[in-house]
Formats: sequence, structure tokens, C-alpha cells
Amino acid sequence: MNLAPATAFRKDINLRLKDFFLTMQEFFLFSLRAFLTIPKIKRYWRDFLDQATICGTDSIPIVLVSAISIGSLLAIEVGNLLEDFGAKTMLGRSTSISVIRELGPLLMGLMLSARFGARNGAELGAMQISEQIDALRAFGTDPVAKLVMPRLIAALVMFLPLTALSDYAGLHSAAYMAEHYHRLDPGMFWNAVYPRLAPKDFVVGFVKAPVFAIIITLVSSFNGFSARGGTAGVGRSTIKGIVVSSGLVLVANFYVSKIVLENM
Amino acid sequence: MIELRNVSLKYGDREILNNISLTIADNSIKAILGPSGVGKSTILKLMLGLIKPNSGQVIIDGTDITKLKETELYPIRRKMGMVFQGNALFDSMTIDQNLGFFLRENLNLSEKEIESRVTEQIQFAGLEGYEDKLPESLSGGMRKRVAIGRALIFRPHMILFDEPTAGLDPVSSKKILTLISTLKKSNNLGAVIVTHIIDDVFNVADHVAVLYQGKMIFDDVVSKLHESTHPFILSILSDKILEL
Ligand SMILES: Nc1ncnc2c1ncn2[C@@H]1O[C@H](COP(=O)(O)OP(=O)(O)OP(=O)(O)O)[C@@H](O)[C@H]1O
Ligand SMILES: [Mg+2]
Repeated sequence: MNLAPATAFRKDINLRLKDFFLTMQEFFLFSLRAFLTIPKIKRYWRDFLDQATICGTDSIPIVLVSAISIGSLLAIEVGNLLEDFGAKTMLGRSTSISVIRELGPLLMGLMLSARFGARNGAELGAMQISEQIDALRAFGTDPVAKLVMPRLIAALVMFLPLTALSDYAGLHSAAYMAEHYHRLDPGMFWNAVYPRLAPKDFVVGFVKAPVFAIIITLVSSFNGFSARGGTAGVGRSTIKGIVVSSGLVLVANFYVSKIVLENM
Repeated sequence: MIELRNVSLKYGDREILNNISLTIADNSIKAILGPSGVGKSTILKLMLGLIKPNSGQVIIDGTDITKLKETELYPIRRKMGMVFQGNALFDSMTIDQNLGFFLRENLNLSEKEIESRVTEQIQFAGLEGYEDKLPESLSGGMRKRVAIGRALIFRPHMILFDEPTAGLDPVSSKKILTLISTLKKSNNLGAVIVTHIIDDVFNVADHVAVLYQGKMIFDDVVSKLHESTHPFILSILSDKILEL
């Protein structure tokens, strides 16, 4: 019997596994470095402000669009459903929980992973292949402190107000749809929202913001730093960054909800 | 002083450098010659600790840097200026910011002092009017001059040039080579110059090392180059310019 293909296959798997764990280890050290260099924030204040504009202010339109679409969509669909049961007065309660706890943050996370993550991956990847990252190192500057840490802090700081904005826009577009599509009295809508929202509903949403900030920034930056092989390489690493960070956002969204709701 | 001791390096399965030894004394200029793809840029990166050899030692002023962690390498790298082959200018920064980068990062200078040094460098490089431009709007030769200015501005005592005159007109080349000789005399600058233009070697270098197929086939004072009988050296001496 010929065992050669099976052995070759096993060898291939072994190599891939080894590669995977090496990459994981590198990613871990890279992330650690990003956090350990936070005390240098004063020196890189300008970079922080630039990044805060990019991931904060410039992201407002996309966050609004996603919040408004998810808010109105939920109000319409859930309203239709509740109407069958004659429970349209419950509309405020069911949409607000969804907007604030689950779909609102999730959609925002995915949008930011596409927007901020893609930008990081492409920008840092281009810097890697044009040897600018090596140039930083050659000048005795830690590229993680200069390039990654300001992005991380900017995302950590800016994702919170973006979440608030997304909650606000989502709820109000739901209320608008309730009034104009389902002919529900606004008082009735808001009455079902406020008294029923518990602090934990907000905590879930606001814990997700920093978790997504860390995932998106570190994964996309790490992939940018690992870009090899010309412009095509930058493309590959950018895509990888977005795919992996979106996947992790989905997983984290589930676990944050589960952990916070079970413990509060 | 920079010293490579029995350095070997592989990329994957491909052997690039095979047991190379090389010394660059302070206040001397060494040229490294060799055909394209032989590993000249790789040698400069080894000297800065940007990559690590598979075996052998890289010794900078008495410290073996192959054993050091990245954070321990920073102070050592700051002793050396590097001009990358593709310039590696920071493309999101203006010319002014590129030139002042090292000063702002690593030296405790007043903003006024930094500005005056940057202005001096701008004038020297003939870049007046381009201070606030981004590198993308400069010509190839201008970018090279910015890259050289960026490495010289903090007055390192050793400077590594990867093809400093490639793509420059004869006048600019001459200016840069003259500058290197002047700095050597006045500031005790040492330099490693990777080049494929043999005239550069005769113009400024004290010593020359020739890298060929992973090995050093020549390493001596420039005047001895004519005595070599190695076919590769004979061919570059007769052609004057290495085939790229
Ligand atoms: N990161 C890398 N991964 C794999 N191979 C590499 C890498 N960097 C360089 N090489 C290979 O190593 C060899 C030496 O590269 P190096 O850039 O040092 O050559 P060079 O002598 O500077 O050439 P040139 O004169 O064209 O600049 C080349 O054949 C190159 O293909
Ligand atoms: Mg080269």
C-alpha cells in the first residue's frame, strides 16, 4: 500500500498548524505591545487626533445610515408581527431592546470593521511594503507605538459616542416608523421604551463598543504589518483583516450579550 | 565600528549570504559592490538589526546585536542613519516633517532648533518651496535628496547608504559624494555605501567589498581592486557600471 500521499498530507497539516500557532503568538505579542505603549500617548497625540477624526467624526455618516436602517426596518417588521397578535403597543419595547442590545451594535461593528479596518489594513500594508515601517524601526521608533497605539486609543474613545449616536438614531427612526407606518401614537411607543429598559440593556451595548474597537484595530493593523509581496499582498492582507475582524465581531457580539445578561 | 562575523542568512530554502565577514571602522568609508539580488540591501538591514541572520554575529561598537530584543535595538539604531533603496519616505508627512522626524522623536531639541536644522537641510538639498509638499509630489531625484537629508540631519556617526546616487543627475551625484567625503573629514562620519556605480567607489570609498554569489570575493583598499584577477571584478572594471 502506498502511504506517501497520506504522509505528505499530514506533513502539510503539521506545517499549517505550526504556522497558525506562530502567527497567533506573534499577534498576541503585537497586541501586548500596543497596550504597553499606551503611556507614550502624549508623544503621539497628533497621530491620536488624526485617527480619532478618521474613526470617529468621519464614521458618523455610516453609523447613522446603519442605525437608521436597522431601526426603521425592525419597527416595520416587528410591528407587522405584533399586529397579528393585537399587541402593537409592545412595539417600543421589542424594537428598543434589539436596537440597543443586539442588532444596533452588531451592524455598527461590522460597518466599522469594513470602514476603519479596511483603511488600517491598506494604509499600514502600503507602509510595510514601501519599507516605511522598517524606516521607523531604523530611526529607533517603535512602529507599534507610533502607528497602532494611537489607532487603538482613538477607536476605544470614539466607539462609545458612536454607540450612543447609533442608539439615539436607531430608536428615533423606529419611533418615526411606528408613528407614520403603523399609526402608533408616539406616547404609546416611548412609554413602552423607557420604563422597560434596564441598565443592563445599555451596558451590553456599551461594553460591545470597546471590545469591537480592540478587535477591529488590532486585527486590521496586524494584517497590515504582515503584508508581503507588493500591491497584491496589500490587497490580500486587507481582505484577511476585514474577514477575520468581522468574524470575530460576530462571535464577540454573541458572547458579550451572553456574559453581561447572565451576570446582571 | 560595525562588524559582521561569519554571517549566514537564508530566505526560506534559498541561501543569500554564506559565511560573510566584514568590518567597517569608524571614520572610514566602505563601498559594497555586487550584482543585483546578491544581498547588498540585506547586509545593510542586518547591520541595523532589522533582520536577524541564521548564524553568525553582527557587532556594533562591541555589542552583538543578534542577541538583542527589538526594544534594546532602538538606542543602537539611533547611532546610524539609513538611506533606503526606495527612500522609504513617510508619505503621509510633509518634506519638513520627514526631515525633522528623527529630531522630534529622539532628541530633546527646542522647536526653534529643529526648524533651523530643517531649513538648513532644505537649502542644502535645494528643496526650497517644497517644505509643505508631500513626498508623492516630488521627482525621484528630489525624494532621494530628502531621504539622504533625513538620515544626515541628526548627525549620526555612521551612515548606511543603499544606492545613494542611483537615478540622480551627475551634478547631484557629485554633490552627494562630495558631501560624504566632507562629513568624513569634518564630523568623523563613517559610511557604508551600497552602489553599482564603480565611479562612486573610486570617488569616495577607502575600502571596497565585493559580494558575489553569497560570498565576499574581495575586501580591501580600493587601490588593490585593480590587482584582482577574479572574472567578476575584471568585468566590472572594464564595464565601469554593473549590469542591473
Ligand atoms: N523578505 C524577503 N523574503 C524572501 N526573499 C527575499 C526577501 N528580501 C529579499 N529577498 C531576496 O534576497 C535576495 C537579496 O535581496 P537584496 O534586496 O539584498 O538584493 P540587492 O543586492 O540589494 O539587490 P539590488 O541591487 O537589486 O537592490 C534577492 O534575491 C531577493 O529576492
Ligand atoms: Mg538592494
